[in-house]
Amino acid sequence: MHELSIAQSIVEVVEATAVENRASQVNSVRLLIGDGSGVAIEPLIFSFEMIASMEPLLSGAKLLIERVPHRARCRKCATEFIIPDFVVICPACQVWDCEVISGTELQVLEMEFDAESEEEEQLCQN
Amino acid sequence: MPKLTIAQNILAANDTYAAGIRQLLAPRGIRSINFMSSPGAGKTTLLERTIRRLRVKLQIGVIEGDIETSADAERIEAAGASETCQINTRGNCHLEAHMVQAALDQFDLDRVQLLIIENIGNLICPNAWDLGEDLRVVITSTTEGDEKPAKYPQMFADAQVVVINKLDLLPYVDYDLEKVRRQVLALNPHLRIFELSCRTEEGLDGWCEWLENFARGEI
Repeated sequence: MHELSIAQSIVEVVEATAVENRASQVNSVRLLIGDGSGVAIEPLIFSFEMIASMEPLLSGAKLLIERVPHRARCRKCATEFIIPDFVVICPACQVWDCEVISGTELQVLEMEFDAESEEEEQLCQN
Repeated sequence: MPKLTIAQNILAANDTYAAGIRQLLAPRGIRSINFMSSPGAGKTTLLERTIRRLRVKLQIGVIEGDIETSADAERIEAAGASETCQINTRGNCHLEAHMVQAALDQFDLDRVQLLIIENIGNLICPNAWDLGEDLRVVITSTTEGDEKPAKYPQMFADAQVVVINKLDLLPYVDYDLEKVRRQVLALNPHLRIFELSCRTEEGLDGWCEWLENFARGEI
């Protein structure tokens, strides 16, 4: 269940950015998750929603996930292929000498938020 | 509704700690290993046997990760580790770099030539966290069944060394050693495999010799 720790890290990154940018409410967070990152999507969403619900700034925020295929390129024949179950062998020439080119991503891409209104800002200042 | 690009690695905070650990250890010539396995594969016993054999030649510091209890750190200290620290994660399924940094803060690093971090027994979660180690060792054993590498491919694919333990039990279990070797090498043909038994100490000579060379920077 390391998705809980990953979700915690996402909340920390988003919260810091939200405070810096004077957001009053974060509505959605877009992630890039590689198929070879070892992260399971459903438990990640579950964990994120649970942690976000306890943070006023993130309460109700949606998690939008873009998947990235786990891909490699053969160093010998330059064939690019999807890696099945982490076995990085070239399907064209059967060599092991391949470079993983995508699919290990674990990134927070962007967030959508409501900005603090000026009125609220003034209230805060007073 | 305003949108804001963040473009930040989710584990960036962990990676910063891991980089700090490398900067701390490398100038001192301390090499480090992240020991990972499922629960009960024999990580702590392998460490005990290894330290007993190498303690006169090599100062080995050990960080013990467990969910609860300090039983393992006590075993390791009794075996002759130069420095030990027990981390209890209280339910967390893996170690993170900030925990390792906190443990290293308690070490006298002048008494450490090789650092071994024993991770939580788990073949999935620990893999995502870089602990600032130079090498990943995965331990598996003949009592776990012979499909572990195929079932937990990422852990084996990202390691540099695999130890197959409990070789003495081979006559009593349905375990196809050749099948495991094939699975491991299919995931990572550059993996170094050691086959041994901590109980009978068969195969420990080769492992200890290799580890000593690694600690001295010769590998």
